[in-house]
Amino acid sequence: MKKNIFSILCAFLALMSMGSCVNNPVDEDGLLITNRTDCYVSNFDLLGTDRLSVRIGDAEIDNDSCTVKVTVAYGTDLKNLYSQFTLVTDAMLEPKITGLTDFSDLGHPHQYTVVSGNRQVRKTYTVYITVEGSETNP
Amino acid sequence: MRIYKKIIGCLLLSCIVGAFTASCEDDAEPILKNDCLKRTLGSNVVGEEIYFAYAMAVPYGAGRIESAQVEASIAGAEGTYLENNSYHTDENGVDTPVLVGDSCVTEGKVSTVKFTVETCAATLRYYYKIPEEARGKTVTFRFSARSAAGETVYTEMGPYTISSMDMKRNLALTKAKCYISIEDMAVYNATDAAEHPEKIDLVYMWRSSSRNPGFGHSFVAPAADPEYLPDIELPAGVNRDAKIRKEWGMIDSHLTSEPNNGTYIDDVDFQTMDFTNKPDYAINMKKQGELWVETQDGKYRAFIYINDLKTISGGTISMKRYTMY
Repeated sequence: MKKNIFSILCAFLALMSMGSCVNNPVDEDGLLITNRTDCYVSNFDLLGTDRLSVRIGDAEIDNDSCTVKVTVAYGTDLKNLYSQFTLVTDAMLEPKITGLTDFSDLGHPHQYTVVSGNRQVRKTYTVYITVEGSETNP
Repeated sequence: MRIYKKIIGCLLLSCIVGAFTASCEDDAEPILKNDCLKRTLGSNVVGEEIYFAYAMAVPYGAGRIESAQVEASIAGAEGTYLENNSYHTDENGVDTPVLVGDSCVTEGKVSTVKFTVETCAATLRYYYKIPEEARGKTVTFRFSARSAAGETVYTEMGPYTISSMDMKRNLALTKAKCYISIEDMAVYNATDAAEHPEKIDLVYMWRSSSRNPGFGHSFVAPAADPEYLPDIELPAGVNRDAKIRKEWGMIDSHLTSEPNNGTYIDDVDFQTMDFTNKPDYAINMKKQGELWVETQDGKYRAFIYINDLKTISGGTISMKRYTMY
């Protein structure tokens, strides 16, 4: 009986020590690299300098063609917008959004790459902006 | 020899006793005590008040207070005074005044109240009206009290930096009175604007959403794209540009009495605000929204708080302005 208890304890301790040796991999930003392969944008918004949304209606996100189409209010200052992505769990965005972005050159839409949780799947999305009332649509 | 030893011993003993006595005298604490609180928060703006509560007391039965005074390092503007009421909080939490002295006498930097009632404790309020002379400088205060026994105590407050900025509250906007001057911190009609067009930085307008979707209440520089000045005929010479940054939720407690967390715009906010690539228009503004504005020549920066907007043309704004050079 004593022998059994001793063996169980040893096994438990061995497991504990093995567990403590496992290092969860993280990327250069300290974000956890997981096994997830999902890679998509679930929501998108654009905010003005006042941190209020300038979006009119919902953003149209097409995860097959990797496009985001959004209409912004008339008079929106396109040179000073905060873009706001919601991604699938564990995914990350490149380039990082660190502040205001100039979206005023509508002919050259911005591109952002979504990288899956395992960092193996990459999808580049193009953000098309239309100003409410303007005739040029992407 | 023995006599000498005795004499030396006596001298040493007397020295020790003397030193002990002297140290006891030095350590004797005054029975008159005082303390002070600064009760106003935020930036110190010329024309506004800095408000203190100054408390003084001697133990009950140990005497009475004769006078209290405050000396400011820079003489306050008219309206600076030490109140001759002592305040206490009643059972309902309400501040209750009790008259304790003659009216305050303010001469130059010093405000004094002489007590006329016998009291061993009082809390007086001091209101320092910030003078123009103090703009951009620091000011300190020396609060002191004197007991009938001749004992005095004092406490020093500050230094407090006085902001360089100016402030104007409740400027009315109407359909006709719609030309905003940052330099003058005023709103003009077309006739007055034409008299000094070089001072007009913004045009306020309202356009019905049914006719101009998304337009509403707007603030636009005269030099902006005419698309943002629909149906506006600017007075002769009104053609200046500006840089405008829209904000929301940046409440300044000087400019509004709405409940908030006691936040204030101060000089440093103007100094550090980035106007790079900012537009010259802000359309569809809402009540309680804000604007940062830089004039065309970069001389002035302003923070405009929208106190009120009507459902048609008209509203009220308040402004803080900082001179950059």
